[in-house]
Amino acid sequence: MALAQSVLEELRRVVGKEHVIDSSNDLRIFERDASIEGSAPDAVVLPANAAEVSAVIKIASKNRIPVVPRGAGTGLSGGAVTIRGGIALQVTRMRKILEIDPVAQTALVEPGVVNQELSLVAAAQRLFYAPDPSSQKACTLGGNAAENSGGPHCLYYGVTTNHVLGMEVVLADGSVHWVSGDAPDRIGLDLCGVLVGSEGTLCAITKIKVRLLRTPPSVATLLAAFPTIDAASQAVSAVIGHGIVPAALEMMDSVTVGAVEAHYHAGYPTDAGAVLLVEVDGIAESTLELMNAIRHVLAENHGYAMREAQTPAERDLLWAGRKGAIGALGRIKPNYYLHDGVVPRSRLPQILSAVGEIGVHYKLPVANVFHAGDGNLHPNILFDLRDRDVLPQVESAGEEMLRAVVELGGALSGEHGIGLEKSAFMPWVFSHDDLDAMRLVKNALDAHGIMNPGKIFPDPERKMPHLAGRTGLAIEAKWW
Amino acid sequence: MVVSRRRKQAVEKPSTAEELAHRLHEAAEAGTAVFPVGGGRAAEMGDPPARDGIELHTTALDRVLEHSQADMVVSVEAGITLEALQALLKKSGQFLPLDPFNSPGHTVGGLLASGWTGPLRLRYGTARDFLIGIRVALPDGRLASAGGRVVKNVSGYDLMKLHYGAMGTLGVIVAASFKVFPKALHDATVSFDHESMDEVWAAAERALGLPMTPSAVEVFSSGRVMARFMGSPDATKRTVTDLGWAQADGSVWEQHAKAAPPQWARIAMPRHQLRPILERLGPEQSWWASPGTGIANWTVAGGAEDVQAVRSAAVAAGGSLVLMAGPADFRRDARAWGTPPATLHLMRRLRTAFDPNEVINPGRFVV
Repeated sequence: MALAQSVLEELRRVVGKEHVIDSSNDLRIFERDASIEGSAPDAVVLPANAAEVSAVIKIASKNRIPVVPRGAGTGLSGGAVTIRGGIALQVTRMRKILEIDPVAQTALVEPGVVNQELSLVAAAQRLFYAPDPSSQKACTLGGNAAENSGGPHCLYYGVTTNHVLGMEVVLADGSVHWVSGDAPDRIGLDLCGVLVGSEGTLCAITKIKVRLLRTPPSVATLLAAFPTIDAASQAVSAVIGHGIVPAALEMMDSVTVGAVEAHYHAGYPTDAGAVLLVEVDGIAESTLELMNAIRHVLAENHGYAMREAQTPAERDLLWAGRKGAIGALGRIKPNYYLHDGVVPRSRLPQILSAVGEIGVHYKLPVANVFHAGDGNLHPNILFDLRDRDVLPQVESAGEEMLRAVVELGGALSGEHGIGLEKSAFMPWVFSHDDLDAMRLVKNALDAHGIMNPGKIFPDPERKMPHLAGRTGLAIEAKWW
Repeated sequence: MVVSRRRKQAVEKPSTAEELAHRLHEAAEAGTAVFPVGGGRAAEMGDPPARDGIELHTTALDRVLEHSQADMVVSVEAGITLEALQALLKKSGQFLPLDPFNSPGHTVGGLLASGWTGPLRLRYGTARDFLIGIRVALPDGRLASAGGRVVKNVSGYDLMKLHYGAMGTLGVIVAASFKVFPKALHDATVSFDHESMDEVWAAAERALGLPMTPSAVEVFSSGRVMARFMGSPDATKRTVTDLGWAQADGSVWEQHAKAAPPQWARIAMPRHQLRPILERLGPEQSWWASPGTGIANWTVAGGAEDVQAVRSAAVAAGGSLVLMAGPADFRRDARAWGTPPATLHLMRRLRTAFDPNEVINPGRFVV
């Protein structure tokens, strides 16, 4: 439904004529993120600062128009999709790093700053920003904070919420607030903590204060091959059971390794059933000692063809294979559908075999490339959208995989968010009362439901996926 | 009207989460105030309650719900003591990096509700960082969970953050799940006693600036500095040698965690504002501090005016001062929390949503 001309004029007055997009051709560019369902906004508005964001949200609030904050559109759960139309609040004009404080080891950034840019700029002070989503060359820090994004190095360093010290946010009534800040143990309720990861359903983010860490003096990166996924999974548990939490511990299955090697020639062993990429950092004595211990544990668990990066260039190449893996999968099929359920680490062998069986059942190739140390899966269901009948099959396969995750005591999403695509599955893991408690927060901060409607909570207006309607609550009686 | 907590109040000790939720609901219906009590270690934190009511003890809820050793995840009821939980984890070479003051005897629920921390926060963060799931009894009698029992999870709102440090004002925590950590491969403690405070601060900065980040650095008004390094044996040994301080027994930390002055305030500052505030206290004052995190604990020898003066300075420099313990009169006069934050009205909206009749800890917290 197009916005009233009067509303569009008001919006243009706030942000400038050229920063309101409302032609249907242009709007189609903004109908998707990196997930599979799309829906065009009625207008795209590009504010320059918090005052403009506030004014835009006030207009939206007065007219009960949905507002969906949007960064780079790299999200994988439909968080930035304007499923009920309304305004896509595109924050990419707000892309300044406002301050890097080398003494306090913090940065103050606008939400449109690209994740990797912050670490590149902070590197001059020998500092870095730890959360590193695979999309870090494109994704924005505002989107990261909204989704509580993760990344390979979150195994040791923690996810986005552990690194956000404070935020300037605009609530659904257009009011602007600072939540938390530089000092620890702020007085009162932790508003910042609940707003991070709220997927745009409670606020728009206009500034973020993040913690930076000192660049470790030494880094060691090891690639190891395993005959089977099971063996690699056992090795993951063995390393951590040994008392070592590496900076990163990533797994790729043989399908992924084949595609990556064909694309990057990173020296990945293509005969392997799975490979692990392990990284430790710290002072030289520590990385040397830990890596020796890790090699020993991996060898005991059928690891072979172990290769440690000897130069920064070699390390970059090993990581290029991992971070670019999903792109490389385009060699197999042009499209992918990706879930990111999390299982208790010891359940990795079971879930990976279930994922494999589901792929076989639906006759769809599946490539696994994931954060094994966290138990955070990333099964990529590969398909070709030009096959007209394939999409329902893909969605059903994804849904069955998530169902298997939940039945093994896992969670629907580790770092991508619930968004649009998994909202119908929330009753699998949360009871009616659990969801009601979350709704108390939503209603307290956005009584009219204008911020990113149709996300996180099961939406009665949307058709229920067939499994969700059939099976009800997975984990009854046990509190999860 | 302000009532001293010392007045005899009805005490109830439900043995299940359901029973606790039921009693909470009954009290809420009757408009009776409810004061959740765990180990009672933070009983004097906060303003004196606004009215009398019942104490709802969680100590009978002390079961371990699940400890998955391989997954390094533990789920417990809120009334279990930290020591009992650590003893269980120790059998698997694991631990929860919590070392709050006024130990032993904290319950897990009490620690989460009060947000108390200790020296290890420098390396591991607070329970906020490794609390992965929570179950809470609400005044309407319902039990609501958030999070889960996996180490990484963005399914739904992060209500763990909202309940952490909320003093129970959004509901009574009945169970929690944590990511636990492997015991360090090597754990070394060193200390040094200095003549001047300038040397103390310089020593602390030196320890904090080492290539191997310490797990804890504590400075004391007595002139002592203690540092703890946890990591690979070679790295730890080299670092300790480089630093050149005297080796100390690891048990000093257990001793330190018992610290609990009768009148005591927590000063939390942006890291580099901590020293000026403590210098402002003057040389005769007694305190200990974590310069790496910006937190100090001050033994308040004077009265409410002293507290107010230090608080004003702390707030002006971007920090806060909170009373951790002291008699009710002292807390009433000095105010436990000080000036509420600018977002108080938002916090109050959440309080009203979860506890509309303000039956849990009325008057004790800022909301």
